[in-house]
Amino acid sequence: MPGIACPFCGLVCDDLVLEAGRVDSRGCAKGAAGFARPTGTREHRIAGRPATFEAAAAAAAALLAGAQQPLITGLGADIAGVRALLALADRTGAIVDRWQSAAQLNNLAVMQRAGALAATFGEIANRADAVLLLGRDPTREHPRLFERLLRNRTALYRSAAPWVSYLGPPALAPSDIPLAVRAPVEASALVDALGALSAVIRGKRVANSAAVALPLAALGEIAERLKAARYGAILWEAAAFTAGEAQIAAGLVLHILRFLTLTTRCVGLPLGGSDNAQGVAQTMLWQAGWPGRVSFATGTPEHDPWRFDAERLLAAREVDALLWVAALSPTPPPASTVPTVALVGPDVTLPAPAAIEIRVGVPALDHAGAVVRVDTVIALPLAAARPSALPSVAAAAAAILERIGAPR
Amino acid sequence: MITKLAGGFVLDPANGVNGEQRDLFIDNGRIVGAPADGRVDRSYDLRGLMAMAGAIDIHSHVSGGKVNLARLLMSEDHRDVTVARGALTRSGGGQATPSSFVTGYRYAAMGYTAAFEPAMVPSNARSAHLEMADLPIIDKGTYVMLGNDELLLRMLAEGTEQERIDDYVAWMMQATAALGVKTVNPGGISAFKFNGRGLDIDQAGPQHGVTPRRVIQALARALHELGVPHPLHTHCNNLGIPGNIETTLATIAAAEGFPIHLTHAQFHSYGKEGDRHFSSAAARLAEAVNRNRNVTLDVGQIMFGQTVTASGDTMAQYRNRVFASPDKWILMDIECDGGCGLVPFRYRDKNFVNALQWAIGLELFLLIEDPWRVFLTTDHPNGAPFTAYPTLVRLLMDRGYRNDCLKTLHPAAQKATNLGSIAREYTLEEIAIMTRASPARLLGLADRGQLGIGAAADIAVYAEDADRERMFRAPRYVFKDGVEVSGESGIAALPMGATHVVRPEFDKGVTGPIKSFFDDHMTVGFAHFPLSQGELDDAGVRVLEHACRPRRRA
Repeated sequence: MPGIACPFCGLVCDDLVLEAGRVDSRGCAKGAAGFARPTGTREHRIAGRPATFEAAAAAAAALLAGAQQPLITGLGADIAGVRALLALADRTGAIVDRWQSAAQLNNLAVMQRAGALAATFGEIANRADAVLLLGRDPTREHPRLFERLLRNRTALYRSAAPWVSYLGPPALAPSDIPLAVRAPVEASALVDALGALSAVIRGKRVANSAAVALPLAALGEIAERLKAARYGAILWEAAAFTAGEAQIAAGLVLHILRFLTLTTRCVGLPLGGSDNAQGVAQTMLWQAGWPGRVSFATGTPEHDPWRFDAERLLAAREVDALLWVAALSPTPPPASTVPTVALVGPDVTLPAPAAIEIRVGVPALDHAGAVVRVDTVIALPLAAARPSALPSVAAAAAAILERIGAPR
Repeated sequence: MITKLAGGFVLDPANGVNGEQRDLFIDNGRIVGAPADGRVDRSYDLRGLMAMAGAIDIHSHVSGGKVNLARLLMSEDHRDVTVARGALTRSGGGQATPSSFVTGYRYAAMGYTAAFEPAMVPSNARSAHLEMADLPIIDKGTYVMLGNDELLLRMLAEGTEQERIDDYVAWMMQATAALGVKTVNPGGISAFKFNGRGLDIDQAGPQHGVTPRRVIQALARALHELGVPHPLHTHCNNLGIPGNIETTLATIAAAEGFPIHLTHAQFHSYGKEGDRHFSSAAARLAEAVNRNRNVTLDVGQIMFGQTVTASGDTMAQYRNRVFASPDKWILMDIECDGGCGLVPFRYRDKNFVNALQWAIGLELFLLIEDPWRVFLTTDHPNGAPFTAYPTLVRLLMDRGYRNDCLKTLHPAAQKATNLGSIAREYTLEEIAIMTRASPARLLGLADRGQLGIGAAADIAVYAEDADRERMFRAPRYVFKDGVEVSGESGIAALPMGATHVVRPEFDKGVTGPIKSFFDDHMTVGFAHFPLSQGELDDAGVRVLEHACRPRRRA
C-alpha cells in the first residue's frame, strides 16, 4: 500500500498510511491533527443565511468586482487553488499576500539581493556529515525533520550519523537529537553570534568584551567542523529571528556558506512556512514574477513588501474587500470590518459571519491536489483521504471569476 | 469549419515547397486538401504574404524550478519590464525571465508555436509540468536531465548491462512525462556535490569512478535502442572553458556513431590560442559536424545586453560566479539527481571574450553546411532572451548588417574571428529548415514543422521585408492548430498548446531496483515520483504522445 502525502507542514511527508478511512500519521501530531479534522459544515452563506454555491459565488463576484481595492490573503491552498486565485486577482486588480508571509519573504529578499547556496532534502539526508541548527528547534514547525534528514539510517554517502550542533537560545534547543555542540545565546544576541561565527570561520580573531559574552569556544568548534565537513548544512527558520534581523541573519548564513564553498561543500536549508508556503511563492513567481506581496491594481504586477502587507493593509483600511482563503489550516479570517468573502475549510469557525462564506474542501482530505515542499523543488501529489463534494479553492475561485466575466 | 489561407507564397521545405503561390485549407486544426464542394467558412487573403509552419524552439529554458529561481534572482527584470493584462491576456513581466503567460504570448507573437524546456531535473518534473500548464498558446515538452542521477551513476559503476540502462531511461521518461533526455556536464554535477571542481571527459568521477564518456555512451545508446526520436541532448563537460573544443570533439567520438545533439555549442567551441588564451574553435567543430552525420547542434548564440544564465551545470556556474552582473548568484544541489545554478550576465560588445563569443556563434551557423543539422537558439535566457531571434535571423541572412555589427566590437575580437570573410547568407528556405522542418524532425513531431495535408495547422504568415529582423519580429498572422492566435491587433485567442511526450517501453522488472533505491535513499516515495495522467488532466495539461521505434538487440 503506497503512502499518502501530508500537506500540513512544509516537509510534506508522503509515507502516511490510509487504512479503512483512518490515517496513520507515523507519529506526527501535526499530521494526525490535520487528517483528523472534523467534517464540519458544508453550508455556504450570504450575510449569515444559507445559500447555494452558485449564489454565494455570484455574491462574491459582485463584492470583489465592486470593490475599489480588493485584498486576497490567507492563501492556504494547493497549487491549483493558487493558480485560480491569481487569475481572479489579475482580473479584479487585487493585492495578494500570503498571511504571515514576512518571515519567508525575509529569506527570499536575501536571495533576490545576493543569492543562495541551497540543497534539497535528498542531498542533506544522503550527504550531510556536519549540521548546524540555527535559532530554534526546527521540529516544532516540522515534526519529522530529524527523522527524515538526520536520523535516516540508509544514507548514500555518510556512514555514521551526522555531527549536529545548535546555536540559539537554550530554552528552544532541540531535544530529539544528540547535539555534539551547543552554543547557547539568547535570541537578542543571535545575530551577533552568527556574525562571530562567520568571522571565526574566516580565521578572524574574535574576543568577548564586557558588553558582549558569546560562546566563543563552541563557535570555534562549530567553525572547525563545518570547515572539515565533506558536506555541511545550515538549517534555520527566518521566524526564529526578530523581524528586523531575519534578513541580516540570512545574509550572514550566505556569507558563511560562500566562504566554506571555496574549499568544501556547505549548503543552507531555510525552513518554515506551512500551508504550501513554497507552492504559493513558486506559483506567484511563474505567473507574476514575484514571490509574494503583489498588487495587480494598476494592471501590471507590482511588488512591495511594505505596501502590500496584508496585515498592514487591513489595519490601515486601505482595502475595501477581503477574500480570505484558508483551505489548508483552519484559520479564521482576522478581525476586521472589511467586507469579507471567506473561502474556508468546513471546520473553520468564523468569529462573526462573513459577508459571504464559501465552504471549500481541504486538500488531502476532501480532494486531491499538489503542494510544494519547503525545499522548493519538489511538488507532491495529495490523495483525498475522505473525498467529499465540497468545491476546491480552485473551483470556487474559478466560479467567482466566471461570474465576474471578461473585462469590457 | 474550413478556413482558407488564400494566395500566399508557401515555404515548406519538409515537403519540397519553396515559395510557390498556393492556397492552404484548414479544417479542425489540420491542413486539408481543397474542399470538394468549394465551401469555405473563413478566408484570409495572403496575397503577397509568405506562409511557413510555426517555428519550433528546441532549447529554451521556459519552465521549472530553475527558471523560477532565475525570476526570483532577476527581480530588476520584473520591476523594469512589466506587461499589463489585456482583454484576453494575463499580466506579467520580465525580459530575460518572463513570466509564464508572457512567455507564451511573446513566442506566439513571433511566429513560434512550440518551445521545449531542455533541463528538467527529474525530481522537479511535477512542478515543471504544473508550471507549463500556465504557459499558453504554444506547444511544449521537456528533456529530463540524466547522467548526474546517483542511481544511474551507480548502475554504470556496477557494470549494469545496457538493457537495464535502457529500461531505467524509459521508466524515467515515462515517470517525468518527458520528450527527450538531456545530459548536462555528464557526471560533473554529481562530482561537484563531492567537491569536485572539474571533470573532463575521460576523467573518473570522484565517487563512482565513472567517466563522462561512459555516461554519454550509455545514454546515447539507450535512446537509440529505445527508439526515442530525439537523440541525446548533450551539454558537454567544461562549458565556457578556453580549450574546451577538445572535450566537445571527444564527446562526438563518445557517441560512437549513435545520434547525438550538442546543445549551446557556442559555449563549447573555444580554443586557447592568442595573447588572451581565448580563441575561436568554431571551424574545428563545424568541420566535425560536417563530417559526422550523426551529429546535430544548436548554437546558443549570445547577444549583447543583460540576461541571466540558468543552467543545471552547478560546477560551471560556480566557476562563472565571478562574472555575475549584477553580483549575485544561486546554486542548488537537487535531490541526488541534478542541480541548478543561476548567474546574471551582461554581455558587452566591448568586452573581448563576449565579442568573440558572439562571433563564434555566428561562425558555427555559417560554417556548418547542412541547415538540417544546425538549430537557431540563444539557449534562452543564457545567451540572450528568445526575443532576440529576429535580430539573429537578420545576422544570418544579411552579410552587410553582420559586418556592420562586427565593426563595432572589441577590436581584438574582430581580429580573432574570420567572420568578416564569410560570405554566406542564409536563404529564407534555410531559415525555414532550421526553425521549422528540422526541429520537428529531430524531435519526432511528424505533424509539425510542415504544411502537408494532415499536418497540424501551426502556421506563421509574414510580410516579406528586406529587413529580416522586422519581418520575423512581427508576423502578420499566427495560427495555432488552425486558430488565429496572433494578428494585427496582437494576441487574438488563447488556446492551450499540447505537451509532447514519448513513452518508450521498458521491462517492468527494472522497477524493483528503482523502488528499492527510492525506499532506502530518496525523500519522495517511489509511488509518488511519477506523474500520473490524472494529475496532468486535472492541471489542464493536454498530452500528445509520439511513437518510439525500439531497436532492441535480439
